[in-house]
Amino acid sequence: MLSQHTGAACRPLVREGNLVQAGQKIGDSDAYVSAPVHSPVDGKVKEISLQSHAVLGRCLAIVIEASQYNLTKHPLRELKDDFDVNRYSPEQICSAIREAGIVGMGGAGFPTRVKIETNPQFPKETMIVNGCECEPYITCDYRIMLEWSKQIIAGVDLARKASGCSKVFIGIEDNKPGAIEAIDAALRAHADSEDIKVASLKTKYPQGGERQLIKAILKKNVPTGGIPPMIGVVVLNVATAAAIAEAVIYGTALTHRVVTISGEAIAHPGNYYVAIGTPVEDLLEFCGGVTQKSAKVVLGGPMMGIAIADLQTPITKTTNAITVLTKEQIGRAKFTRRQTACIRCGRCLEACPEHLNPTKIAHAVKNNLLDVAQSYYISACIECGSCSYVCPANIELTGHIKTGKIFLARQKKKMPG
Amino acid sequence: MLKDLRVSCAPHISGPLSTRTVMIDVIIGLVPVMAAAGYYFRIHALTLILACCLSAVATEWLCNLIRKKPNSVDDFSAVVTGIILALSLPPGLPIWAAVIGSCFAIAIGKMVFGGLGANVFNPAMAGRAFLTACFGVLMTTWTVPATINPAMPRISVENKIDARTQATPLALSKQAIKTRSQADVVNNQLSAMFTGNIGGCLGETSAIALLAGGLYLLIRRIISVHIPLAVLISAFVFASVGYLKNPEAYISPLAHLTGGGMLLCVFFIATDPVTSPLTVKGKWIFGAGVGAITILIRIIGEYPEGVMYAVLLMNAVTPLIDRLCTPIPAGGRPHVS
Repeated sequence: MLSQHTGAACRPLVREGNLVQAGQKIGDSDAYVSAPVHSPVDGKVKEISLQSHAVLGRCLAIVIEASQYNLTKHPLRELKDDFDVNRYSPEQICSAIREAGIVGMGGAGFPTRVKIETNPQFPKETMIVNGCECEPYITCDYRIMLEWSKQIIAGVDLARKASGCSKVFIGIEDNKPGAIEAIDAALRAHADSEDIKVASLKTKYPQGGERQLIKAILKKNVPTGGIPPMIGVVVLNVATAAAIAEAVIYGTALTHRVVTISGEAIAHPGNYYVAIGTPVEDLLEFCGGVTQKSAKVVLGGPMMGIAIADLQTPITKTTNAITVLTKEQIGRAKFTRRQTACIRCGRCLEACPEHLNPTKIAHAVKNNLLDVAQSYYISACIECGSCSYVCPANIELTGHIKTGKIFLARQKKKMPG
Repeated sequence: MLKDLRVSCAPHISGPLSTRTVMIDVIIGLVPVMAAAGYYFRIHALTLILACCLSAVATEWLCNLIRKKPNSVDDFSAVVTGIILALSLPPGLPIWAAVIGSCFAIAIGKMVFGGLGANVFNPAMAGRAFLTACFGVLMTTWTVPATINPAMPRISVENKIDARTQATPLALSKQAIKTRSQADVVNNQLSAMFTGNIGGCLGETSAIALLAGGLYLLIRRIISVHIPLAVLISAFVFASVGYLKNPEAYISPLAHLTGGGMLLCVFFIATDPVTSPLTVKGKWIFGAGVGAITILIRIIGEYPEGVMYAVLLMNAVTPLIDRLCTPIPAGGRPHVS
């Protein structure tokens, strides 16, 4: 996949028939907001063609046939004892992050270098590390925090240095006491860790949303339509932090990640360290296959994930989970259960973490009144799905709002300025 | 490996609530009220509730048929409307009148607007207002409860004079206001008003049953606390003003809260989600308006009871309240760009 991040897509650096090595850069772009991609395996480039992509639909991809040897990459190496953050300059850290192709691994996939590099327009003060995996089923970040806590702290320290932040908070939900303990222990072992604090947060959905996390820890709201740097905050996922440590210390590219493969229909659910680019079908097979009852394969969690139609769709840098849902489960969800008219109960307003009026926005979009939708602040929606989840009338509120946002984006494109 | 994969928009799972479960919970909340009505008004309660429910459901079914819309009676909202309408009727009302009211409530109060969720006015109150306009005498003749006089003849146009009736607390209150004396007659009836052993509409006499049902709805989070609290507070404040000014002419605020349809309105009528505002701020305004208008009608207006008109009036301004109270996003209003 040559576009696994927010920003410009890469162009391929290899040709059909070329031999590639694990960790070799195979796609890159000159654009600032972009991140290169690397081959996770040794092998031969079979073709460069359009392939199914979970978010974009179709996307140019380099298909590599793996050679039989050297298929596995060892998960993150143990840190050497003599790790010292002072050995690296901010510039070194940033370029290592960029070369390793690291992007936000929590979901949006914003290139990490762009995020943490100092920017005179928005000086950064606080870094928040996101260990709040709030979607049901997903536990990959939890596992990472348990097993790679030292690497996470090292990555956080490096990122802090590169970004110039003075304070760091690691936000973890209070239903993961094990993770809080592990990170705490790693912090104690780490030199000069006074400025890094663990924040235990209430377990709720969507606590792991960037804006919700900042609100919970700093009691500050990110302006509507704005981004965290505007209030001096950088948010990094724990998996990203671990990847930063690996990239800076060992120069390893981001070619593998931890993915939660679960759901009621999976024979052997678990967290797996997989090569980025592996087709979903292979992973499901590896996990013992799925039962007959399965009906929906979702990349991500059940609240915000994307249901895929093509099982050849590969894992990307931002895929944190594959969730396979059964017929019964989705039978309870939208489309299959009868929808009634909105009874104006106001539950969606109560559930909305951004304090919007989802039912009004959805109705406006349905009636093609985009200006009305805007007057109810449609663009402030974070698409967390809470409104659809609670709706007793079974209305696809989130779906309508997403549709409205797409229409608005198209409108904007047509009329520049 | 996998066939028949389904694709749809996130979220892929959904909460346990449906419109039907919400309506069923409301019906469960109404059970204590119906039980109290059954205890005090016996056969009248049974026949009126049954007649209203059946005609409400039948009307909705028929309207769907005429409009060639999918059948919607299985969401049970028509049943709720039927029960609430029945509970707001005088116990001795002839069945045919109740059926007319119920048909009006569903057909004109709800279905002409487009059915569930689209109606401006609370259907049950619209039906009741229609009956009040058509059958003024029948709608203000109150049978005494069976616990006081087991005879309880049904009122009809011919024998309305003979029917054993009793002045309701609110009628006495109106009298007290006019004569400027004897308001304490009502205040002394407070315990009867609490249990329900007194004349009045089918479901409004027993405060304790209404409180039990309301509590159930609050605990199940079918209704939020804002509207009930707002109505009670504003009614209490307005009633207190009168009481403090002249306790001889104006009944005590507590009597206002337990008397008439106040509690039925507080928990079951004003809280109708369709016809009340969406936002918390709007709910406070709505509730305060209902409470204030009710008491103003009761102590200044010509009618002894004002709940129905208060609810209908506030229903009418609900869209305006909603527009007034557009919630501001968590991150503040976006800057104009």
